[in-house]
Amino acid sequence: MNTEQQLKLQAFLDGELPEREARDVAAWLAQDKDATALLMELRNTRQALGGFEPEIRLPETREFYWSKIQREIQRLEPATPKKEAVPFSFWFWRLLIPAGAAALLAIAGLFAFLKLNPSSNPGAEMATMLADANPVTYRDQAEGMTVVWLSYPAEKEFTANSSGGRLP
Amino acid sequence: MSMTRKFNSSLLLWLCASAFFLSAVAARSESGDMKLHAQLIWGTNEPKSPDPKHKLVGKELEKKLKNSPFKWEYYFEVSDEKFNLPLQKEKTVNMSKDCAIAVRNLGGSVVEFRLFGKGKLVNKITQPLPKGQILVEGGNADNATAWFVVLKSIDD
Repeated sequence: MNTEQQLKLQAFLDGELPEREARDVAAWLAQDKDATALLMELRNTRQALGGFEPEIRLPETREFYWSKIQREIQRLEPATPKKEAVPFSFWFWRLLIPAGAAALLAIAGLFAFLKLNPSSNPGAEMATMLADANPVTYRDQAEGMTVVWLSYPAEKEFTANSSGGRLP
Repeated sequence: MSMTRKFNSSLLLWLCASAFFLSAVAARSESGDMKLHAQLIWGTNEPKSPDPKHKLVGKELEKKLKNSPFKWEYYFEVSDEKFNLPLQKEKTVNMSKDCAIAVRNLGGSVVEFRLFGKGKLVNKITQPLPKGQILVEGGNADNATAWFVVLKSIDD
């Protein structure tokens, strides 16, 4: 007996075969002992399994039963907390404090920079008091040197040293 | 929310501390005295000075002067004086018989430098003079030589 024949016996047992095929199977069962034995075995198995299926009857309708479960699930879900209204003062101080501190630091930094960095001070001012001094200014940033070259004194005045003579 | 407040408080504290530190440093600089070194220098191409008291200037100053357009072979120090100058105070220094300078500490490393010749004001210059920088005034002297008055802010 092949698989197709076994399936046909199963369908016969379940009453799924057309009438003509059912008659053919019945004739086949009358002649074949193996087929009859298999049919009996299948029938016994179905009866055995059917006897153990619990049949639970709901006390209410199916829709009402599931709606109760749905309501219970909804009840147990944590309620989404409502957003508290944030007061304006909170945002005011939250922004003002860092902004104020940053401004304070910037002012202090600028103040320190101006005081500690002389090059940020206003540039050199020069006033020549004698008309024939004709100053020429030379600046060497790399050497950190400013030279003011004066045509005054005409030769001899500054070169007189403390002993009365001229330099040296 | 408490974390935010804690962060803001810490940030504010650090910023205030930094601002205080910077202000303190600046204030200290503002109130500091200046220590200055004034030199009268003779520039010549002769290797020896007729005055044995004269000594050659230091290598650093010599290098600076030789790197300028006002080049001489030798630079002799005729006189010098180191002095402290408190804030807003003025110091007059006689560099030679006819040469004197007056220096005023204006604060923030700025000095007012006045040069006098035979008691007359020749030139006045106001400029920053932080440590390490030098201010030089100079002019021609006899026999193709030159004089220089050098003012330098030095360490205490």
